[in-house]
Amino acid sequence: MSENIIEIEHVSFKYKGSEEGLLKDTSLTVRKGETLLLTGASGSGKTTIIRLINGLIPHYYQGDVEGKVTVAGRDIAKTELYELAGVVGTVFQNPRSQFFSIDTDGEIVFGPENVGLDPRAILERKDLVVSEMHIEKLLGRSLFELSGGEKQSIACASVSALLPDIILLDEPSSNLDQGAIRKLAGQIRMWKSQGKTIVISEHRLWYLKDLVDRVIYMDSGKIAHEWSGKEFASFDPGQIEQLKLRPLEVPDILSPGCGGDCDCDGSCKVDLTAPDPAGGITLKKFYFSYHRNPYLIFKKNFDENDKNLSLCIPRLVLPKGAVIGVIGKNGTGKSTFLKCICGLEKDCKGIIETDGKEYKGKARLKLSYMVMQDVNHQLFTDSVESEVMLSMTEPDKERCEKILDSLGILEFKDKHPMALSGGQKQRVAIASAMAADAKLMLFDEPTSGLDFNHMEKVGHLLKTLAESGNTVLVATHDPELIELCCDYVLCIENGKLGYMKRV
Amino acid sequence: MTEVVTNNSNKLKAKDFITVGIFTAIIFVVEFACGMLGYIHPFIVASYVIMIPLVGAIPMMLFYTKVQKFGMITIMSVLIAIIMFVTGMGFLGAPLIIAAGVIADLIAKSGKYKSFKKTMFSYGVFCLWICANYFPVVITADAYRKSLTDGGYSAEYCNNLFLAINYKTIGILLVLCFVFGCLGAVIGKAVVKKHFEKAGIV
Amino acid sequence: MKLDPRTKLFMILVVSAVVMMSATTPFLWAVRIVMTLIPIILLIIEKKYTSAFGFTFLYAAALVMTFCFINEASATFFKTFVTGYSGIVVQFMPCLITAWYVVRTTKIGEFMSAMQKMHLPDGITISLAVVMRFFPTIREEYSSISDAMKMRGISLGGGNAAKMIEYRMIPLLFSCVNIGDELSAAAITRGLGGNVRRTSVETLKLHVSDWLLITAFTAVAVIFVLFKYVL
Repeated sequence: MSENIIEIEHVSFKYKGSEEGLLKDTSLTVRKGETLLLTGASGSGKTTIIRLINGLIPHYYQGDVEGKVTVAGRDIAKTELYELAGVVGTVFQNPRSQFFSIDTDGEIVFGPENVGLDPRAILERKDLVVSEMHIEKLLGRSLFELSGGEKQSIACASVSALLPDIILLDEPSSNLDQGAIRKLAGQIRMWKSQGKTIVISEHRLWYLKDLVDRVIYMDSGKIAHEWSGKEFASFDPGQIEQLKLRPLEVPDILSPGCGGDCDCDGSCKVDLTAPDPAGGITLKKFYFSYHRNPYLIFKKNFDENDKNLSLCIPRLVLPKGAVIGVIGKNGTGKSTFLKCICGLEKDCKGIIETDGKEYKGKARLKLSYMVMQDVNHQLFTDSVESEVMLSMTEPDKERCEKILDSLGILEFKDKHPMALSGGQKQRVAIASAMAADAKLMLFDEPTSGLDFNHMEKVGHLLKTLAESGNTVLVATHDPELIELCCDYVLCIENGKLGYMKRV
Repeated sequence: MTEVVTNNSNKLKAKDFITVGIFTAIIFVVEFACGMLGYIHPFIVASYVIMIPLVGAIPMMLFYTKVQKFGMITIMSVLIAIIMFVTGMGFLGAPLIIAAGVIADLIAKSGKYKSFKKTMFSYGVFCLWICANYFPVVITADAYRKSLTDGGYSAEYCNNLFLAINYKTIGILLVLCFVFGCLGAVIGKAVVKKHFEKAGIV
Repeated sequence: MKLDPRTKLFMILVVSAVVMMSATTPFLWAVRIVMTLIPIILLIIEKKYTSAFGFTFLYAAALVMTFCFINEASATFFKTFVTGYSGIVVQFMPCLITAWYVVRTTKIGEFMSAMQKMHLPDGITISLAVVMRFFPTIREEYSSISDAMKMRGISLGGGNAAKMIEYRMIPLLFSCVNIGDELSAAAITRGLGGNVRRTSVETLKLHVSDWLLITAFTAVAVIFVLFKYVL
């Protein structure tokens, strides 16, 4: 008979100065050893509950709290955060901003060092955690060199090293590709087998549906539904869609074993669709490498025969006016591909040919526009309106307002872009892209960390952009997005073209 | 934007130390960037006292909005002194840097960390750290000149050699640092208002 | 060759002190040059050939220019300028080389541990660790922001210097503040900021190589002072 290890009693919470993420009279109990999934739309209060359990509310985030939270017998309001370190561990969403050290070893021992454990005991714990997770080959490396999935593994190790009884995960799969997500699932399974209590806040459901004991659905600050894990896993796609959740089953996008809608016999290694060059956008001679021979002073012109190319695409024709999903494992060159096409990598001297014109070098920057993964890097002004006008060569207020209206953000035109929510900021970035009138639009992971509702909206937007005559390339890990809006899928393997096929 | 707890006690907590660390890193990046320009033309080295207070004012004014307790500005100056030592710029500047930091902290504290006038003066004093960059040059230039005169070279030659660099120059540079610091604070505050206050972070 | 970070800090201290005192006799110059060669040799031991040879070349060039031109009877403006400039370079190179060596070969963890052993308060150690950790982060963030600026054609701010600075600084500050908030939350939930003094897994011990270098540098300092002021 396992007792309740977490008790949230009639808690209401409102963040200071914000209406988002609040809770209204919520009560929740979690049994020891249970694996619980919190899901629901963005802003429904999932992260707030996580923060109540690990103590960040009220000790770190300010707001109006009512009610009581008890974790492992401690009243959270009266317990200092550092006292909870050995009890509750939290894995956060963004792998790159949650680590304190620069190297992997330092990060794993960070927690135990903070609580003043004896160095020998710390090293024992480190060895234990490393061997449990099989991450020996990640030791002794700089965290800045690791992939997103590897960083998240180190984050899990770092949390494990404090040997907490409760582990919280706040949208941990947001920046990961499918392979890394599977590893994460394995990690959660291991923690479960160790008897830890696990609470996960997530949008992506496919990797959790067989792991969780109970599912809580939040809506506008209240717990709207509660199901057992088995019940939830047996929902049909219609029910899931009604709840505005992401699908329970997603195809493995990297296996070209397709959905059967091509006439190959399961060996899709060939460039299946070869659009007519006249009606398409031709990419020629895109060669690039990040590895440079250190003892050669200049070797900026890459060609086909170079070894170790990060990107090697002699010729590729993209269909115009279509949404093309770019897929591939992390690290195989998707981002490099996008950056080279739009001209951001100066040393990649590829040529784009379309409508009879050739675009080289800087001209490629004018032809294309890339919306980056982290929207915060591309907002420069203090109002949405001036942000969009920044992209225009000739300031045209009317056109700006039309664009803002079509994206549903006209009401925010005088607001500071950084005051908006994630989804709204992204629409501002897209508005800037539309104002720049680029024929070729590139999107780098636009739906990481978005709930189903927003993902649908993004998919819809991409389709509209393509219908207006732009060619849209979207690099993504989300099979749901591909299903929602992509006309073609382009797979990059090790910097080379794997295949391209119609969806 | 979610608001972070402002502590009631006056003891510095982990979040404060992290904030100091972040902004110290930013200030160093600003100094480094301006320093790069200095390699183009050595006389630009003198313009450090103009560029760094002005450009650095933007992050520093944002930093000042997060300073609510005594010690943060002092620790920043200690860090600057340590980093300058480790990167080979000498330890002679350390007393100046740390003294400037403590005084700046006290000035800001006297305004309860809210008065803009006090913030402006505080930042002006804090900017004196920039002159620590010049100390090694001044000290060695002076010693060099002395050794040259000892070695029998004409006084005129030596004067020509180090015309610009002597103790009087340092005095002028200190004043310039302070003045441009205050000016920077005004500009920085306007920028912080335009962006960070409008976005609701401050 | 693994040196204790405290040895390295001592090296910087001695080098910084010695360059303050100007070398007047050839012997003192020789001592100085020997002192400068030690970090260069250390760099070579650590296989950092490019920097080792680069520094040697620059130092040699500056030395040559200082001595060559200083002997000219007629001092034109250009010559005095070059001599002065080279003279200053010669003064600072030893510090720069030693500092470069230390920064390139010391891990953050070791450095923090050394600071703790020297009884610096935990707060300062934490702040320093964050400074180190943020330099690469700022570089990454700035690189993305720079790409975005290129994309939108605003790298030059339309010719306006103030805009150029604004476009670079503002997104960078927003990013840093956001990352800082997340970083703090993640660190505090792992126990940072408690009442307990932090421990460290890095074990620092002074080995033979440390004592050798400490002795060598102390000797350099003593000889220099002796020959300059006493003899």
